[in-house]
Amino acid sequence: MTAPPWLEVLDETLDACRTHGREDLALRLRRRRDRPSGGTRVAVLGFPKQGKGYLVNAVLNAPVCAVGDAPTPAVPVEIGYAAEPAATLVGRADERIPVALERLTGEIGARPTGSLRRVEVGVPRELLSAGLVLIDTPAIGDPRSARTAAALDVLAEADAVILVSDATTPLSPAELALAHHVRTWCPHVLLALTKVDVCPSWRAVAEEDRTALSGAGIDARVLPISATVRQAAAKTGDQELNARSGFPELLSWIAEQVARPADRSNALLAAVSVRAAAAELVETLRTRAEMAVKDAGVDQTTLLHRAQRKADDLRKRNTRWQNLLSDEIADLMSDAEFDLRERTRHIVEVIDETFDRGDPLKVWDEFGPWLDDTLVKAVETNYRWAAERAEWIAQAVAVSFGEQYEQPDLQFVDADAELIGEVRQPRIEAFKIGQKMFTGLRGSYGGVLMFGLITNISMGLGMFNPVSAAAGVAFAAKTISDEGGMRRQRRQAVAKMTAQRHVDDVFLRFSKDCRDAIRGVQRKLRDHFTALADELSEQLAKEREMIIAGSAERERRTARLRGEIERLASLHQRAGELGLLAGRAPRELPA
Amino acid sequence: MTEDVRGLLADAFSLYRDSPRAAGLLREALEHLEQPLRVGITGAAGTGKSTLAAALGDWPTRALRDLALIDDPAPGTLTDATVRLFRHLEPDELAAALPTPRSAFARQTAVDTVLVLARADEMGAGRIDALLTAKQLARRAWREDPLCSGSQGVIAVAGQLAYGAHAFDDDEFELLAAFAAVPREELERYLISVDSFTDPAFPGPVSVDTRRSLVSRFGLFGVRLALTLIRTGSDSQMKLSAELVRRSGLGELRDTIAGCFAARADALKARTAVIRLETVLQAEPRPHGDRLAARVERFAATAHDFRELRLIADIRGGRTALTGEPAEEAVQLLGAQGTAPEERLGLAPDADPREVYAAGIDAVRRWRHEAERPDRPPAERAAAHVVVRSAEGLLALFA
Repeated sequence: MTAPPWLEVLDETLDACRTHGREDLALRLRRRRDRPSGGTRVAVLGFPKQGKGYLVNAVLNAPVCAVGDAPTPAVPVEIGYAAEPAATLVGRADERIPVALERLTGEIGARPTGSLRRVEVGVPRELLSAGLVLIDTPAIGDPRSARTAAALDVLAEADAVILVSDATTPLSPAELALAHHVRTWCPHVLLALTKVDVCPSWRAVAEEDRTALSGAGIDARVLPISATVRQAAAKTGDQELNARSGFPELLSWIAEQVARPADRSNALLAAVSVRAAAAELVETLRTRAEMAVKDAGVDQTTLLHRAQRKADDLRKRNTRWQNLLSDEIADLMSDAEFDLRERTRHIVEVIDETFDRGDPLKVWDEFGPWLDDTLVKAVETNYRWAAERAEWIAQAVAVSFGEQYEQPDLQFVDADAELIGEVRQPRIEAFKIGQKMFTGLRGSYGGVLMFGLITNISMGLGMFNPVSAAAGVAFAAKTISDEGGMRRQRRQAVAKMTAQRHVDDVFLRFSKDCRDAIRGVQRKLRDHFTALADELSEQLAKEREMIIAGSAERERRTARLRGEIERLASLHQRAGELGLLAGRAPRELPA
Repeated sequence: MTEDVRGLLADAFSLYRDSPRAAGLLREALEHLEQPLRVGITGAAGTGKSTLAAALGDWPTRALRDLALIDDPAPGTLTDATVRLFRHLEPDELAAALPTPRSAFARQTAVDTVLVLARADEMGAGRIDALLTAKQLARRAWREDPLCSGSQGVIAVAGQLAYGAHAFDDDEFELLAAFAAVPREELERYLISVDSFTDPAFPGPVSVDTRRSLVSRFGLFGVRLALTLIRTGSDSQMKLSAELVRRSGLGELRDTIAGCFAARADALKARTAVIRLETVLQAEPRPHGDRLAARVERFAATAHDFRELRLIADIRGGRTALTGEPAEEAVQLLGAQGTAPEERLGLAPDADPREVYAAGIDAVRRWRHEAERPDRPPAERAAAHVVVRSAEGLLALFA
């Protein structure tokens, strides 16, 4: 027996699905390809609480499915023929666990979620004896949930689908979307409108559903049914009531599905599945291609322009911050020096004043520590001020560079005031007693001599007489006093000089230090922002390269995607021809 | 509590004087403190909001008098509490409809929602025990589904039946009584579906149109239930009406709304105002806004009403260790049956104040003992503390 023509098309589509990362579609096609021959599989699908379980039970006239508020299984339940009622849980690894039918719900509930693949139930019903398998599916819900996926996967093996929606409300947009999806994957679909027994306005709802389905281009019959009426009819054997339940029509529709020749059915199913898969895949690829085109075409130039603008901007900013930095640093340097000079000048003034009047001999002990303190304070204040200014400069530079960039940690070196040596006490000679006596003697000697000579000459007195002795005493006192004043002045001058020199030393030393520190700051800021600027320009260069290289890559990718789309379109076409062979006019891919 | 909130809003108002939008929102909240409590009825299309709103609204009860029901409030409408309708209580349905409160305050004090399993008469393919099934389903969801645990109750209500039940007249009762008089076996086949009920072959002289209007007002389930009730003794319009309302779940819903919402109108309105204030603070931050935010926090921490309501929900939802008589006494003390001291203590409304006081002292003593038992888990002791606080609160009224 030769392979049917649809197999080749299906395999090719399957490959394409796998290549483009749609494993889900590939899996469905594979299941379609490998589905067991013989038998007709009719799946029952719908949103929660629409009456799926009641419908299946009423079709079978047996309580097989959980209904009402009992939890429905999260896996499909396949109901087929068996001489004796039986149930089998099929696990993830295809292991088969037989359980008693009465305990089915409990057994399913006891298994951890996700451990089962499906449940198989066998019941001795004539309806099923010709190979019909009814599949009750988990309720469709959240599109991302495993339940929904499990329900939709059933489509891959189904020959026909009964969609279930109740008559309390017309089809919701979600239900309509489900119907559309089901119809793309499965050629034979029926909408069962349930609960018509309790809904006074079911006729209007049925009409609305019919309009909605045909409006959406979905070719499916709407059949109002009532499981309750069917049950009541079965209880009393009332044929007329049974006819009103809608079930006879449903059963004859099912019988039509069973009666369809298997090979034609297979070809049609394959064709529909290939077309559904191809359409979904084309949709995926087209979205991808569009995205690529959007990336490439629209923004290629814009991106380059943007990159160019960024580079220009960076250049401007570079000049701006460099100028700002050098100006500010020069200002800071002169200002800092001036500040220190001002502070020391005031100190020198005080020194002058102090030693113009005060005797170093008396005040030095107090003056020395004061000078040291004041100098330390002056230097520290100056330093702190300079550090603050440097911080401010760093901020200003960072802002002119672009606010989003950080400024470096400056760590302006602290003024090391410890380094300021104590002012050394100048050598100050005190006027000791011995020196005073000697000076006095010198003075008195001069006085005695002078007055001795005068009195000697004029009065004829001896050299040493009372007058000359008194003059000697007076002269001695004056000499001592003169000598004392001179010595003090000398001391004052020495002290002034010593203190001033000390201040000058400190000034020189620390203005140098401060200048160095400021230079350090300048260097640090320069290095930081230069590095940042380099990094940015490098980034920009890379970005441009990527934009240029990216466009070529994108074009290649788009071309490849286009080729694939064309290939899939041809597969879609071929599948359509197969469908035609199978006796059903294909509907063209809306492309 | 209302005074605190009024002060809070007034301060906020002066802070936002220059923003017309914020000031407008705050003014609305401030004005709302004087108005009746607003309960919004929400739910997806087809859940029967309007029917339920009509059923609740047309019922003159003292408890629901100072309460405004808003059918399907537009987004942004100021509502203090919500009755949220669901068709099936499916997880997807719940997850989509239950919003997460935005602020910590709103979460801590989330005592403003009652969930309703609407159209309870459609459970179990409309069998006569549909309402019982629905009640069990609702109860289980409240106890077990974490999505339902934040609400003040999950109640199964057959809205259509409830609406039909309290508004029907003597003529309708006569009609139903006439149907009930027909032998059951003869009538049964005409009660299988709406179509068979409106079948021209229906025994008796009642016109098809009359039967159609009856079934569309009560639903087929309602008609069946009414006939069963008439046969089993509800032999007057009054009795039947009361019984149908009770079974429809409307009574339970009304009691919950009265006990959890209407009795706490001031607390809930204050909550609405504070949430509005929080929204404004978040939308338009101001330099001194954090002070107001701190006061909001303090307000949430001190409002005992919210703690009472949460604990009532937890006890009734089966999420505490309390069961049986102690649980009953606890929810009563917490004010589930009314917040007056007599109601909290289960005494007659005109009880002697001395008796009320003595019962209050007794309750405080017993629950304080419960709260301090070292052999109980901390959660249980914490719950008992809340009860103690409620009992002390009612004693404070005598001080």
